[in-house]
Amino acid sequence: MLEKVAAIIREQLNQENVEITEATRFKEDLEVDSLDLFELVMAFEEEYGVSIPSEELENMATVGDVIRYIQEHA
Amino acid sequence: MKTKITELLQIEYPVFQGGMAWVAEHKLAAAVSNAGGLGIIGAASAPPEVVREEIRKCKELTDKPFGVNIMLLNPNAEDVAKIVVEEGVKAVTTGAGNPGKFMELWKNAGVKVIPVVASVAMAKMMERAGADAVVAEGMESGGHIGSTTTMALVPQVVDAVSIPVIAAGGIADGRGMAAAFMLGAEGIQMGTRFVASKESIVHENYKNQIIKAKDIDSVVTGMSTGHPVRSLRNQMTREYLKLEKENADFMELEKLTLGSLRKAVQDGDTVNGTLMAGQIAGLIRREQTCREIIEETVQQAQECIAAQGQHKKI
Repeated sequence: MLEKVAAIIREQLNQENVEITEATRFKEDLEVDSLDLFELVMAFEEEYGVSIPSEELENMATVGDVIRYIQEHA
Repeated sequence: MKTKITELLQIEYPVFQGGMAWVAEHKLAAAVSNAGGLGIIGAASAPPEVVREEIRKCKELTDKPFGVNIMLLNPNAEDVAKIVVEEGVKAVTTGAGNPGKFMELWKNAGVKVIPVVASVAMAKMMERAGADAVVAEGMESGGHIGSTTTMALVPQVVDAVSIPVIAAGGIADGRGMAAAFMLGAEGIQMGTRFVASKESIVHENYKNQIIKAKDIDSVVTGMSTGHPVRSLRNQMTREYLKLEKENADFMELEKLTLGSLRKAVQDGDTVNGTLMAGQIAGLIRREQTCREIIEETVQQAQECIAAQGQHKKI
C-alpha cells in the first residue's frame, strides 16, 4: 500500500526520487501546498475508489494518515 | 443580460464584486447589488456580530440579492456560517479553506454556495461537495492568489465541472468580460475596479494609487511563506521582497504586514500599507460609481462580442 501511495504522490508532485514513508508529512517534508493537496486527494480517490470528503483533508498531516483513511473506507 | 449565473442568483448582470477584506463592506456591496450585480460583504476576520450588523445595514440599503465572503481558515468562520443563514443571505462565496462542513447547513437554508478556486482539482472537489458555481480566480488578482493565470485556469475549470464558472483575476472592463465568456465563463468577478469606485470606503490615497498605477506596478509578496499576496509596489513591498531574498524568518516578515491592509484602507498609508490590487489596476483611470462601472462593462462586453464577426476574418 505504501509503495503505491508513494508512487501516486511522486507522480502528482513530479518528484521522482523523493523518499516517502508513513511518517512523511505533506506540508513540512514534501512542501505540499493547499492546491497540491486537492490534487493528491483526487488522485487517491481515482485509484482506490474511495471518497475523501473535503473536510477530512484538514486531518491528514502524514502519508500514514491517508493510508489509514483509505484502508478504513475503501 | 442572461446567463446561468443571473438565473441562479436572480440578478440582472453576472458581475460579482470581490469580497475583499476591509474593503467590501455594506455600502459597496449594496451599491453593486442596486446596480444589478452581486455585491459581496467580505467577512474576513471581522467579529461575527460585526458581520451580522454589516448584513443588516446592507439590507437597509438594498432589496436585491447580495452575498457574504467567508474566509474558512478564520476561527470565526463557523459563527459567520450560521449568521448568513439566520440573516437570510442569498449567496456565499468562500476562500481559504474547505466549505464542506457547512455545505449541508447552507444548502438546507437555500443559500447559494460559490467557492473561489485556484485549480481544477479544487473546483471538482467543490462541485462534488455541492457547490452551485465556482469563481475561478487567476493569479492576476489582487490580494491572496494562486499560481495559474485566468487565461489558463478558466477554460480548464470550465471543462472539468458542469456547474457555472465565474472568471476572476485581471478583469476590469467589458473586453475582459467578453474574453471571460469566450473562455466559457458565465460571469465575472471584479475586485480592483470596485476598490476605486465612488462608493468604496477605502482612503482616497489608496484609490489614487490604483488610478495612477501602471501595468507593471503590482508585485507578489509572501511567495516564500506559501501565502502569496499581490499588491501595488511601495516601500513596504520593497522591504518585504528584500527580506524574502535574504531568507528572513517568518516572524520578521509578519511584522511588516501585520495590520498593513488596514493601514492602506483606513489611514491611506501608501508607504507602509498593503495596497492590495490586481495586475489590471493599470487599466483603471478614474473613480466611477458602481452603476457606471457595471453598465459600462456590460455594454462594452456586448459590443465586443457583437463586433467580433465583423472585425476579424478568422
